[in-house]
Order: sequence, then C-alpha cells, then structure tokens
Amino acid sequence: MKLTIAKLIAGIVVIITTLGLLRYQPWKTDGPADARDIIHEGANKKAERSLTVGYLPVTCHLTCPVTDFASKTTRSSTNFNSRVFTDFPTVVSALQAKQVQATFMIVPLAMKLREQGVPVKICYLGHRDGSEIVVAKNSKVRSLTDLKGKTVAIPSPYSNQHFVMNKLMGDYGMQPGDINFVILPPPDMPTSLASGAIDGYFVGEPFCAKAELDGTGRVLYYARDIWPNFISCALVVHEDLIKENREVVADLVRGIAQSGAWAETHRAEAAKLAAPYYRQDEKVLNFVLTSNPRRVSYVQLTPTDIDLQRIQDIGLQMGLLKKKIPMSELIDRDFVPPVITPAPIDKSKIPEPVRK
Amino acid sequence: MKENQPNSLLKAVAPQKRNGSAALLLPAGVVVALFLLWWAVSYFNLFPAYSLPSPLAVAKSFKEEFTAGRMVNDIIASLWRVVVGFVLSAVLGIPLGLWLGQHLAGRQAFVPVLNFFRFLSPLAWIPFAILWFHIGDKPAIFLIFMATFFPLVLATMSAVSTIPKIYFRVAKDYHYKGSELLNKVTLPAVLPQVITALRVSYGIAWVVIVAAEMVGCQDGLGYGIWEARNGLRLDSAVCYMIIIGVLGMAMDRLLAQLSKLPNVRWGYER
Repeated sequence: MKLTIAKLIAGIVVIITTLGLLRYQPWKTDGPADARDIIHEGANKKAERSLTVGYLPVTCHLTCPVTDFASKTTRSSTNFNSRVFTDFPTVVSALQAKQVQATFMIVPLAMKLREQGVPVKICYLGHRDGSEIVVAKNSKVRSLTDLKGKTVAIPSPYSNQHFVMNKLMGDYGMQPGDINFVILPPPDMPTSLASGAIDGYFVGEPFCAKAELDGTGRVLYYARDIWPNFISCALVVHEDLIKENREVVADLVRGIAQSGAWAETHRAEAAKLAAPYYRQDEKVLNFVLTSNPRRVSYVQLTPTDIDLQRIQDIGLQMGLLKKKIPMSELIDRDFVPPVITPAPIDKSKIPEPVRK
Repeated sequence: MKENQPNSLLKAVAPQKRNGSAALLLPAGVVVALFLLWWAVSYFNLFPAYSLPSPLAVAKSFKEEFTAGRMVNDIIASLWRVVVGFVLSAVLGIPLGLWLGQHLAGRQAFVPVLNFFRFLSPLAWIPFAILWFHIGDKPAIFLIFMATFFPLVLATMSAVSTIPKIYFRVAKDYHYKGSELLNKVTLPAVLPQVITALRVSYGIAWVVIVAAEMVGCQDGLGYGIWEARNGLRLDSAVCYMIIIGVLGMAMDRLLAQLSKLPNVRWGYER
C-alpha cells in the first residue's frame, strides 16, 4: 500500500479518535476514570453531596478509604471519594490549585503551608504513633547514640519524624549534624536499608513493617516510646470549603472520626478493607494493624494545642518554620463530634481480596 | 515502486531482505539470552528477591493486572496522553521550525529562548502543570508537550537552514512560491531529518510518561509504576516496564513507516 500525505493525516485522525473514544467511553455515563476510583458500590450512591479527599497509601491515612467505603455502604448525606496521591509535593500543588480541598498531610507541612499564606486548617488527626525507627536486622545499633555519623532516611524535611529525631538528638546530647539525614520516598526505604545504602529510617507504616516482614530490618524505637502520642499526619481542610460548606466538613470530620473508632476495634477488617484502595498486600497492612497494639492507634485524634505547639516549637527552633502561628489560626475543632461512635460498617460488604 | 528506480533507501534495505530469517532470529536470540540470564540470576539467588523480582513473580502479576482489567485501561490512558501531547507539539512545532528556518531574523530572535526551554526537565514543570492544568489528563499532556515541542522546533529549523541555497535559486527560476515552494522543495528536502526528529522526540515523550503520570493521575502506565512502588510490589513495576518498552518499540516502528512517504524518497537521494 502506498503511503501518501492524505492517508497519513487520515491515519492520525483515526488513531486519535479511536484512542479518545476508548479513553473517555462516551457511551458510559459515569466515565471510566471515575468508575475505577469507586471500588465499592453501596446503597447510598445517590448522596446529594460529594467531596474528594486526598490521601497517600500509608496507614496514617487509613481512615480516608474507610470513610470512602462507609459513605458508600451506609446512610450519609455526603459521598466521600478518596483520591490516592503518590507524594506530598503533588498533594500540596493540588491543594493550592483547590483540586482537592481536604486531604491528609504531614503536620509540619500543613504549618509551612499556613505560614506561606495557603489558608488551610487542621481539623482532625490521622492516627497516633504509627511510625518507627528501623535499622538493619543485624546492625549493632542499640540506641540513638549508636547512629552517630550514620545515614538515616526521613520522608520529608517537613515531617514530624524529622522534627522528633532532632528533639531526641538534643535530649541525648548530640549535635544537629551528628546524624546524616537523607530524604527518600518511603517505598524506597526498606530496599535502601537492605542494600546498605542507609543505616536506618524513620517513617510511617507500612514501610517499617515491610522491612520486618522481609527479614531485613528491626524496630529500634516505636514512636510512642520516644514521643508519647506521636502525631504524623492530620486532616487538612481548605478554609474556603469551611466557609462555603460547613455541613460537608462536619460530615467529613464525623466520618473520619467514626472510621477511626471502627478501625481501632476492627483491625483485621480495616486491613482487608484498605488493601484494594492502597493496592498493597493485605498481609503487610494486617501485620501493622494487628501484630502489636503499640504500633498504631486510631483514638484520641482531636488535635490539641499542646501537641501541635510542641511540633511548631521544634520546627521554629530548627529554622524550618519561620513564623509563630497562633494555634487558634491553625486548628479548627468545631467539627469534631462530641460523641464518637464506631462507623456502622457491615463486615459482610467488605469485598474478598482477589489474591491470597 | 519501480524496480529500476535507483534509491539509496532501497539499497540500504535490500541486504536485510536477503537474510530475512537472520534479521528475526538474531534479536530473538538476544531476547531469549537476556531472559535466561534474568531467570538464572533470580534462580540462583545472586540478588535477594526484594532487589530483583523473579520472572515467575512478574508473569503472575502480568496475569493479575490483565485479569483485573487495569492494564488495558492504563495502556489506553498512556497512549492517549502521549499521542495527544506529541501530535500537538508536531502540529505546532514543525510549521514554526519551517518558518524559523527560512527567516534569519526570526531565528536570531527566538533561538536563545527555545534553547533555554529545551533544557528544562519536564520534572521541573510538575508543580506548574498541576497549578495550571489541575489533575487528570491535561497536566500529563502539557508535560509531554513541553518535553517534545522545543527539540522538534529546533531540529526542523536546523534542517531547513541546511538546505543548499541553490535549491531555492532553481525554485525561483521555476517561479515556485508559497505552498508550491513548500511542497516541492522545502518539505522534500527536510522531511528525512524531520522524521528522525519526530522519532527521537517521540522517544522523549514515551520516556517522560512515567514522570508525567506522577501528576495526580489515577491511571496510566507511569502511574502503574508509581503505584507499584507505593504498594511495595516490584514485580508489578517490572511488568509495567516491559509493557512501556514493548509499546515504545511498536510505536517507533510505526513512525519509521513515515520514511515511505513519496516526497521523502526524494530527500534521501541527495
């Protein structure tokens, strides 16, 4: 067949049209991309309002998919769609562009955003504890001071893990430069540790459990041992949404709180529920949630001034935060329900995992 | 095509045709050898399982991704973004390059700026892509456009500016002007280089897809790799890598067909 310019143009048009049709599938009314986000279809698909909430696949944000699930399988007037992100910088950009108006985020990063004039408020917390300092299984490190001169990975300079490490180093009489901190994406931490590229890391679950299950790492400190009621992430809401639609925010905070209360007492079920959202192996999540109650907790999640002030003070002292922001500007507790009952999730509706 | 027509392209192709079986067997042999090496490395545990997934684990996750229907959706999403971004940059970039190649003042004015943008990695545009184009297909298409547009303009421009002046003098004698000049002289003279530039920049577009789909996408091959990392599933990441490589190769074969356009043969004979 002879190729001519006319045929070439016709070919390109055909390719683009076919791909466009396959991509947007106009014959389907709800669209392929959205259809994929909703893993579970419940009785309440017809909720009048809906809100997209951002999260990362870490156990600190577990209540997000649980709330998503609960809003689709139980009676609630707002339908919550959880939207997974892969890194915090993208979450920040999305929040600035108001593509998501509510998201989970590491607490110091929310403070930094507020400092830079992005009007966000902390309305609730993700979970307590849930982070560990992990070192190689056969390393000789027995305490923090043994890490002197070693390389330790943290998820972000604006992570509370970084802040707490600094506080702890001060307590042990170490100098700020004594530990060499590197920023790594959490999924790469277990493998970096196993290959010897780093000597340890401090990050949220399930990236600590992964090293333990692989037999390459062991926990040096549980977060709660070095900082009782450790906070990593919080539910951050854009002020515009708070001003424009208080009922949705109230529904959201109630949903997250109830999901937390449910996850605290239904840990194995929570792992099973979240696995398809996270696309992670249920085994790893299950290990995090059930192996040791010291690892994570989903209660007492109302942000307190004392907790956040402590974090801010360290940030200011380290020079990572520049401006002292009054806690009243940063925290909004108006939406936290007075009584938190576990979310009424029907266990039988949690889909069975595809793979064992 | 007439057989007695002298054609350098045909000459270059002919020897391959004679030993067509070798042209197939040799690369297939290399692929099999690489696969055996991979299998042996993982079978004898030269690397621990977490640093190199075994072929079996990858085959399993292939099955899993395809039966879940995710892989097909991811392939369509990525192809759509790459094709739209790439066609956009070709449609805008090639005419601009043709124009710049023929106008010295235009070249002097724009080349520094074009060069400046050429060196900006698409990764650097990510925050702006989200702020300007929000989330979904648009920021990814924007990133692919930014990665391919500038190299394409510059390559087309330099191809035009290397056309021997005598061609245009002859064209003037024939009173060729406007579209006639473009169709009979300029395009045929530059198309071989433009097609090469298209293939190279298409390669860039396909490479950029992994970075582009970090941008709050919910599907796509690049996103599949990010998600596999987050899900601590390197086996699934490898199966996405294989798909990206194979599709990239297939698309390049398609683009190579462009050199069979009638006007292009003339360009190869220079």
